[in-house]
Amino acid sequence: MRVPLKWLSEYVDLSLDPGELAELLTASGTSVEGVEKVGGEWRGCVVGRILEVSPHPSADRLSVCRVDVGGAARDIVCGAPNVRPGMVSPVALPGSKLPDGRNIGEAEIRGVVSSGMLLSERELGISDDAAGIMELDEALQPGMDLAEALEAEDTVLVLEITPNRPDCLSVLGVAREVAALTGRRVRRPRFELLEEGEPAASEVKVEILEADRCPRYVARLIEGVSIGPSPWWLRNRLRAAGMRPINNVVDVTNYVMLELGQPLHAFDFHLLRDGHIIVRCRRDGERLTTLDGVERDLHPDDLLICDPGGPVALAGVMGGENTEVNPGTVKVLLESAHFSAPGIMLTSRRHDLSSEASYRFERGVDPAGCLFAADRAAFLIRETAGGRVRRGAVDVVAKPEVLLPRELSLRVERAARLIGITLSASEARGMLESLEMEVSPAVMGGESPADVVGEGSAPPRVVAGGEGDGEVLRVKVPTFRPDLEREIDLVEELARVYGYHRIPATLPRTSNNVGFLTREQGLRREIARVMVGCGLHEAITWAFIPSWWMDLLDPGGKLLPERPLRLRNPLSEEASVMRPTLIPGLLEAARFNINRRIPDVHIFEMGRVFLPLGEGDLPHEPLLLGCLVCGRWVPKGWDQEAVEADFFVLKGILETLARALHVEDCSLRREEYPFLHPGRSAKVLLNGEEAGFLGTLHPRVAEALDLPGGAEIMELDVCTLVKAAREVPPYREIPRFPAVNVDLAVVVREEVEAWEVEGVIREAGGELLREVRLFDLYRGGQLAEGEKSLAYNLVFYALDRTLRDEEARRAVEGIVRALGEKLGARLR
Amino acid sequence: MIPEELEEEMLSHPGLGAVYRKLKEELAGADDTRSLEEIRVAYLGRKGAITSVLQGIKELPPEERRSTGRLANLLKQGLEEELASRLEGIRQRELEESLRRERLDISLPGRRVPYGTRHLLSSIIEEIEDIFIGLGYRVAEGPEVELDYYNFEALNTPDWHPSKSLQDTFYVEIPGSGRRDVLLRTHTSPVQIRVMESTPPPVYIIAPGKAYRHDVPDATHSPMFHQVEGLAVDEGISLGDLKGTLETFAKRMFGEDRKVRFRPHFFPFTEPSAEVDVSCNMCGGAGCRVCKGTGWLEILGAGMVDPNVFAYVGYDPEKWSGFAFGMGVERIALLKYGVPDIRFFFDNDLRLLRQY
Ligand SMILES: [Zn+2]
Repeated sequence: MRVPLKWLSEYVDLSLDPGELAELLTASGTSVEGVEKVGGEWRGCVVGRILEVSPHPSADRLSVCRVDVGGAARDIVCGAPNVRPGMVSPVALPGSKLPDGRNIGEAEIRGVVSSGMLLSERELGISDDAAGIMELDEALQPGMDLAEALEAEDTVLVLEITPNRPDCLSVLGVAREVAALTGRRVRRPRFELLEEGEPAASEVKVEILEADRCPRYVARLIEGVSIGPSPWWLRNRLRAAGMRPINNVVDVTNYVMLELGQPLHAFDFHLLRDGHIIVRCRRDGERLTTLDGVERDLHPDDLLICDPGGPVALAGVMGGENTEVNPGTVKVLLESAHFSAPGIMLTSRRHDLSSEASYRFERGVDPAGCLFAADRAAFLIRETAGGRVRRGAVDVVAKPEVLLPRELSLRVERAARLIGITLSASEARGMLESLEMEVSPAVMGGESPADVVGEGSAPPRVVAGGEGDGEVLRVKVPTFRPDLEREIDLVEELARVYGYHRIPATLPRTSNNVGFLTREQGLRREIARVMVGCGLHEAITWAFIPSWWMDLLDPGGKLLPERPLRLRNPLSEEASVMRPTLIPGLLEAARFNINRRIPDVHIFEMGRVFLPLGEGDLPHEPLLLGCLVCGRWVPKGWDQEAVEADFFVLKGILETLARALHVEDCSLRREEYPFLHPGRSAKVLLNGEEAGFLGTLHPRVAEALDLPGGAEIMELDVCTLVKAAREVPPYREIPRFPAVNVDLAVVVREEVEAWEVEGVIREAGGELLREVRLFDLYRGGQLAEGEKSLAYNLVFYALDRTLRDEEARRAVEGIVRALGEKLGARLR
Repeated sequence: MIPEELEEEMLSHPGLGAVYRKLKEELAGADDTRSLEEIRVAYLGRKGAITSVLQGIKELPPEERRSTGRLANLLKQGLEEELASRLEGIRQRELEESLRRERLDISLPGRRVPYGTRHLLSSIIEEIEDIFIGLGYRVAEGPEVELDYYNFEALNTPDWHPSKSLQDTFYVEIPGSGRRDVLLRTHTSPVQIRVMESTPPPVYIIAPGKAYRHDVPDATHSPMFHQVEGLAVDEGISLGDLKGTLETFAKRMFGEDRKVRFRPHFFPFTEPSAEVDVSCNMCGGAGCRVCKGTGWLEILGAGMVDPNVFAYVGYDPEKWSGFAFGMGVERIALLKYGVPDIRFFFDNDLRLLRQY
């Protein structure tokens, strides 16, 4: 909402400068988003009076005007046809600059020196009219600064009006707010409407078929108007308020809407059939072309203004082309109606059509203001477009109760408690009265608050103006405040007027509240910290992904949901599917960095994925941990060779995580996944429960993504991780007797895997074997093709005695025997 | 080796004088452990010169025995001490030499232990969580794919309400279902409703998480972003309590020297409502580009829980009152760390991630 201060000051005395006013409004909830200066674009332009007009000596179409610009008269060459002696017009003097950027200097035009330029409205940036020189009021003094003469310079407050304050969507409404905040009185516009001729009712009939949606309809009739441009003051105000002038009648309807907040519409009366207005819903097959030129299919619930021939306007939203005011209009039917908010909102949304009118109606307009607005507009139309205002208004009230002020009860003590201040009944009363509410003498509440609040209950007992606890005020809310419906709404008004800055800041007196993270929440933080400690950087990737990921990662549709969650209205196809896995986001992040020549990417993400459940249910949203490493894990340094970020780097991270969370058993089981290298992929088992996967990105996927170096990826279900974690492991006895260390190297066939060898060692080693650690893997040399050697360090100890070498030797012999029998292994 | 006043007597001694003179000569030329050892053997060994003198004492005439014995013993003791100290000096020198050889170029880089980073948004969320945990709050969670009921209706935002902007909402298609009321939550406020539905008051929670709006990404808008919602419901909670709570939070989060301002505002699910600003740290409140000349930066929206919301969850508004607040994590990050563009948070550019 743009509020020009000159306009505002017509209704309330402004004792503050614009900055102070802006601060005051902001502090009371009407946020001022900007303070703009307007009208400064005519520097160097003045008022001129044409003294003589003579033909140009060498150009037929040009004339030379002698112009009084205060001081010595000067000659100005002009090509416009409408110049005549005595005319008062805007003049750009040499050295001035026009809004279009042109600099004006002395110029010789076909042998005549022109010292300045007479201006059209287009040159001033006021309108598109370039047909002739703009004519000004002849009473203006030549030489006066143009902007000053036209009162074009002003300060405009740009206000953010919250949806609950439709009353502030007008200059008068803002004036009311300013008056309440500064302790002034607001002045309503005053005018005397001259009515003539037969009563309007003799030609106009209004019929409301939808009383709930159109509780009131006021019509006025003005005949004999002549459509043309509005006078300067009107256009100037509309422009400052951000509206484009159109013609005098339409401009007046817009002006009164901005002034009073009541949207108005003007119909060309002769285009309305029988002067008969019917407010009703759509009938089958009806269509309407609105003023924006769009032919609209109407919805059965759309409220329409019709004549006996069909729709003429989309009620409260936009008029129809068929009855539009046009240059030939001479008789106008002026509509000033009240439409209820929800219907307008839904119609506006259905047609994706918002107008200044619908914006106001869907927030709530004062139903009691229709007649005053109609009178005001009729008066101004007569002033600007001439004609006669016919006697009387046709005022149909279909639902009289909307005109009654709402009555609310306010428990002063409760209000004070909710706000956190002390407040007497008389203070509360004073604040509410400053907002034009009628507050009746303080009364004592009934037994329960509901008795007081409820309609039709026994009248509360009147107390003789006393103050104290439990006082209840009876408050009559003006009809221009549709937002005040409940006691709590009045509490808000009190807090606002009291001033938020004056409310003491306190903390809740919490009784028995203890803040903490749950075990799972704590462990999630721990998991993230371990990932960071492992050298991974946390990423946050988009929750929506393109659908082609599904085909790329899982062409057979075996693993990912066959029908993932889709957005009905995605921003684009590239962001249309809710991710069922974190892998696409991590791969995109890797690509982003690799494309910027950061080839070593080590990242993780903890985030939710979305898996459809049964019919109609909300999806399952498991929290997953995803990791990706690619490029080098450690770059070559001055002291060490580079380490590639390979399968075992990621496996090491998994093992570190399991170790940090005290997971007893973390293991991999070979498993194929459509997007992982079939020989380098595994299911992750935590205490035997499946937690996710780990592996090398399938070369097919890597190629499709243009990741020639590939990547290692892992995804774990955080819930399973948390379940497997053991926060404080129980005490395990520390050996008091020395351990025996034995190194054992065995040769096995290539296809025998390390876990099998270790399994046999542990099984055969018995309970004295405490640790098994692989420390060498060797191929070639004196080993045959297809063989490999695995070397283990074995630690034996007993808790109750020093182990004899003999005991350890026997255990090792048993191990070697078992390896030989089960895996065909031999000692190296 | 021997006290100076005995020097003359020693030199003039018939048996020891020559030994002493020779010893002094040899000692002067000895500068390593080997030659010192040779001297020890030659003088103090079983057949050494001093040992021999001492062994020969009993054959001397009695009047010479006493002085020769005293001088020989003095010399023996003096030589032993001299040898020990010479050896210590040499060892010291050898150690120093070896330490000099082991000198490192300590300016070479240390051996890398990998270390990663948290995402800035996660760090901020944890910081906010910790501030409120300290004030007695717990952390609550709710689904990101929500029902219209929780996201709008129970938050007092019916279909026709002007602040329910359908264009801002992503709707989700549930496979095999015709439901049209499933959406991506547009704020974390629905968690309020879910918590109150399932928990009797008092309630003190915050709910961090992702939220979504149908915005084309630009420097200040992102279709996915993070919010932290807060809710406190108890007996006797006031607007003043909301003010105190958020002032405490803002000062912990942004600095004790920052000023905090509360302005009346409107939200459908709170009344009275407020917007909260902190003083701009770029200009110190004088007004600059960051704060659009106002000297204030808006950081969150808040208010007293609307009685209509209590009605939806079955709390008695006559007995309980409460406040709720919500803040954008990205906005806090932009303000606190000066990140210029919200899209940077989701690019996952390692050059940015590594900064935090
Ligand atoms: Zn600033």
